[in-house]
Amino acid sequence: MGQSMKIKPIPVPAQGSTLDWHLDQPYRAKHLLWLLLALAFLLFTGHRTEMDKMVVMTGQAVGNVIGLADDSQVVRGLSRVGESMWPPALGTQEEVARLTDLDRENLPFLASIQVHERVEQKLNTDTLELEEHREQAELLVKPLGYVWLVFIKMLETIEIAIWGTLFSVVLSIPLAWYAARNYTYNKFTYTLARGTISLLRSMPELIVALFLVLAYGFGPIAGVLALGLHAAGFLGKFYAEDIENADKKPQEALEAIGAGKLKTLWYGVMPQVVPQYIAYTLYILDRNVRMATVIGLVGAGGIGQELKGRFDMFQYDHVATILIAIFIVVFLLDQFSARLRAKLI
Amino acid sequence: MIEFKEISKQWPDGTMALSEVSVSIPKGQFCVILGPSGAGKSTLLRAVNGLMQPTNGRIVIDGTALTPATARYLRQRVAMIHQHFNLTLRMSVAGNVLAGLLPVVSTGRAILGWFTPEHRAKACSLLARVGLTPKHVQRRAGELSGGQQQRVGVARAFMLDPEVVLADEPVASLDPKISREILGLIRDAARERNATVLCSLHQVDLAREFGDRIVGMRDGKIVFDGTPAEFTDERVEALYRGAKWEDTPKVEEEVSFEGMPSDLVAA
Repeated sequence: MGQSMKIKPIPVPAQGSTLDWHLDQPYRAKHLLWLLLALAFLLFTGHRTEMDKMVVMTGQAVGNVIGLADDSQVVRGLSRVGESMWPPALGTQEEVARLTDLDRENLPFLASIQVHERVEQKLNTDTLELEEHREQAELLVKPLGYVWLVFIKMLETIEIAIWGTLFSVVLSIPLAWYAARNYTYNKFTYTLARGTISLLRSMPELIVALFLVLAYGFGPIAGVLALGLHAAGFLGKFYAEDIENADKKPQEALEAIGAGKLKTLWYGVMPQVVPQYIAYTLYILDRNVRMATVIGLVGAGGIGQELKGRFDMFQYDHVATILIAIFIVVFLLDQFSARLRAKLI
Repeated sequence: MIEFKEISKQWPDGTMALSEVSVSIPKGQFCVILGPSGAGKSTLLRAVNGLMQPTNGRIVIDGTALTPATARYLRQRVAMIHQHFNLTLRMSVAGNVLAGLLPVVSTGRAILGWFTPEHRAKACSLLARVGLTPKHVQRRAGELSGGQQQRVGVARAFMLDPEVVLADEPVASLDPKISREILGLIRDAARERNATVLCSLHQVDLAREFGDRIVGMRDGKIVFDGTPAEFTDERVEALYRGAKWEDTPKVEEEVSFEGMPSDLVAA
């Protein structure tokens, strides 16, 4: 009723009065001025962010590839890394002498023991001459050993992502309740919840993980907490906004019979917002898997920790294996969440 | 027995939706409130369960005045049937009907959806009563037609065996045949429980057919109060006379161009 009161009739002018019809051009000098200002801004900031240099270097690189330019810093850098990345590392070799609990009769799957001859130059202290010294070493060769290791680390990463997601969902439910304008108790709880959400969202996972590693030590605890805290802010915000925007009609029906806030939320709002909630949560799971690979860089467990170690030791063939593994997992997860969404919505 | 004691409602923009409406509806009566749009019918109904807070005046239901302290208790005894059905469309028909019990079900049971066998049997018998079949029970409410949705709305309203049923234009968006069926269901279910019905309507013929009593409203005031027999065609004419574009408020008529026929002032 309050709505219908706002409808105003369009006044119809008296018959015979002359009407002034005109339809203006959509642009005026004002718009040109704005365009020039925007251009000036882009030129200024573009120079400061070295976009001009980027264009020159990329041009050189393209020229170098098609044979027009002699040298390109970009191509040199990339090809140096690229050459050492291919082929990706698949297997591992370990000296049998260092393995104390190796059972020769019962070798691990696909593994074999190979004898390698090592030639070393050694200084003979009597003659003061270098002599060739031959040494035989037994190596335990696992042809897919590194793939298996990456697989295990990847599983750990996914586990961190799943627990980070669970943690964020549990944390964001009360946040969403208090941050929804129509369900919070008062202005104070609303402001508190919204403030907490902003705070959580403003802290990047990597920075949080850096501090949590100091608190909880290296390993997955810091990873799970860092992912969970950041995602709780994201989910709290989006859950709350869906509660606020849900269709008011069923809520009014339940409010009218005195069902109480919590039961009204559960029966009048939740069924409406569940598909969106699933979509948000799947996005967070997807994001957490990708972020879990990154926060390992600061020691918060998972594949990232392995990646960082190999990168620092210039073992780019191992890095290549890890990157391929990350790509496969993200791709599979995309497929999985797309199917789940299609099924549930 | 519902007593409206000098109920007034002024919207924040200054419009008087209700001006000192006093009327009392005895127990078990089917009272139709009739009038053009914007007359204040919905506003009057919504005063009964406190969805609308009147600026002045009091509501007394069976001797208990509606105050913030008694609202929760009184609301359980006042059911409401809505113009737009107000069902949770993505929830099952069963869930929507059982939601009518929420005020008396513990929070734990409500969250788990673990209703007692008696409650579930009651939901089934009411769904049968309003003419639905067992195959509807697990369907989503949004998959049903408008008429079927309002049947679910009626079943939900009677889950708590209310003493008062507020029906806010319950058949405004339904065709005449289904409208008669729905109003018949509301009337019969209310009679079985000796519940008072307060039903706002647009349609004069339906009001005459179903009402024990007709209250005519215009511009926030009661302009007719009597039996359907007393509600003659002249009375109908008087109630709707001069009502032009349904929602055009009075203020706007003053800005219309002088000398123009008022029906050219398009809403």
